[in-house]
Amino acid sequence: MEPRFACTACGKCCHGLLPLTLTDAVAHAVRFPLALVWTVMRSNAKSYDLATRLGTTVRLPNRKTVAVLIQPSAYLPNHFPCPALQPDNLCGIHADKPSRCRTMPFYPYREEKDQADLLVPRKGWECDVSAEAPVVYRNHAILDRADFDRERAELLEQAPVMRTYADYVLKYMPWIVNDLAKMAAAPAGGKLVTSLSSFLTATRRTDARELAAAQAPLMQALAERTRNDPALADFHKNYAGWAKEMERLAQRP
Amino acid sequence: MTSSACPCCSGLSFETCCGPILAGAPAATAEALMRSRYTAFVRHDLDHVERTHAPEIREDFNRAEAERVADECDWQRLDVLRATEEGDEGTVEFLIQFRRDGQDMRHHERASFRRIDGQWFYSAGEVNPKGEPRRVVKVGRNEPCPCGSGKKFKACCGR
Ligand code: SF4
Ligand code: SF4
Ligand SMILES: [Zn+2]
Ligand SMILES: [Zn+2]
Repeated sequence: MEPRFACTACGKCCHGLLPLTLTDAVAHAVRFPLALVWTVMRSNAKSYDLATRLGTTVRLPNRKTVAVLIQPSAYLPNHFPCPALQPDNLCGIHADKPSRCRTMPFYPYREEKDQADLLVPRKGWECDVSAEAPVVYRNHAILDRADFDRERAELLEQAPVMRTYADYVLKYMPWIVNDLAKMAAAPAGGKLVTSLSSFLTATRRTDARELAAAQAPLMQALAERTRNDPALADFHKNYAGWAKEMERLAQRP
Repeated sequence: MTSSACPCCSGLSFETCCGPILAGAPAATAEALMRSRYTAFVRHDLDHVERTHAPEIREDFNRAEAERVADECDWQRLDVLRATEEGDEGTVEFLIQFRRDGQDMRHHERASFRRIDGQWFYSAGEVNPKGEPRRVVKVGRNEPCPCGSGKKFKACCGR
C-alpha cells in the first residue's frame, strides 16, 4: 500500500514547538518566541550520520559520542497554537510560512528513505490518508520533493553556525554536557533549551539588537500568559528571564 | 562615613577591599580581581565584569544574561579555595554559594587570569575542575574535599 496524504487544514499540527531554519527564525522574529532546542541522537539512531552533518558531535563524560541537533525553534508549550494560526485554523502567513510548515509532514532531519511513519497522522490530527488523498511517497522516495530539498539545504548551510554555537555553549556552560548525557541515557531522550541571547552573543550577529527588540514583547506576553499555570512553570521561567535579556540587549548601545 | 563589610567575604571593609577596584583602580593580585568581579555581581555593576574580561573573550560575554543572573540570584558567599600567581599568569579556584528560584546553588570554578600592562584580566574558566560531577556526590564530612583543595570537605565546599 502506498502512503497517501493530504492536509485538511485542521490546524492541529500548528501547536507547540516549531523547529525553524535559522533563516526562518530570523525572518519571523517578530512573530515567534525563539529559543535553541537541543536533541541528542545516539549512534544507533537511524539518521545518526545525517544528524552529525546537520548538527554536531559531542563526547560525553562516559566517552560515548552522540550527535546533537540544535534547532532554532518557536518555543511554545505543546497545546499553545502557533501565533500565526487564525481562528479558522488556516495559516495567517501562508504565502511565507516557514520551511518546516511547507515540508510537513516530511522531516529533513531524517533520511529520505525513513519518512513513512511520519505520514501516519498523530493522535487528534485530521490529515486525510484515505484512498482519495494523493500518493506522496513511493518506494521510500518523496514525490514532490522541492520543499524537502530546500529545507534540507538550508539546514546543511547553517550547520557551521550551529557548530560555532555548540562550541561556545560547551566552553562557557560546560555543565550542559551532563544534561546531554542524561538525555542520552533516558529512553525517551529529552530536550534541552538554550536562550537566543547566548546564540546572538556566540555568533556575533550584527542584527542582535533588532532581533532582541522584536523578541522582547513576545517573551513578555508569554511570561504573562504562563504566569499562573504550575504545569508551565518552566516555560514561564524561561519567558520571564529571556524577556529581561531581550529588553537589555535591545537597549544596548 | 560608615564602612561596610565587603561582599566578597574577605573580612575587610568594602572601602579598603573591592571598592577601589570597582572604581577603576588596578587589582593588586589575580585573587583581588576575582573577588572584585564577584562583588560586582553582588552590586549589579556588570560594567566592571565586562571590562575585566581579557580581550580575546570580551566578545563572548553575554552581558544581557549576566545582568539577569545578577538580578535573580541571592549571592551568599564567596570562598577562594586556592590562588596562585606566576609572573603575569594567575589561577584562582573559588566556590560561590547563592540562591536562585528558592534553591541553594553552588558554582565551583578554576579561573585563569592574565596581567596585561599591569592590569589583571579574567581569561578563562573551568567549571567543576577535574571533571567532578556538577552536583557534588555524597562525601563524608571528614573526607578530603572533592574539589581537590586538599582540605577536609567540612572545612571546604561542605561548609
Ligand atoms: S506558520 Fe502557519 S503553517 Fe506554520 S505552524 Fe504557524 S499557522 Fe501553522
Ligand atoms: S494535522 Fe494534518 S490536516 Fe491538520 S493541519 Fe496539520 S497536516 Fe494539515
Ligand atoms: Zn572585597
Ligand atoms: Zn572544596
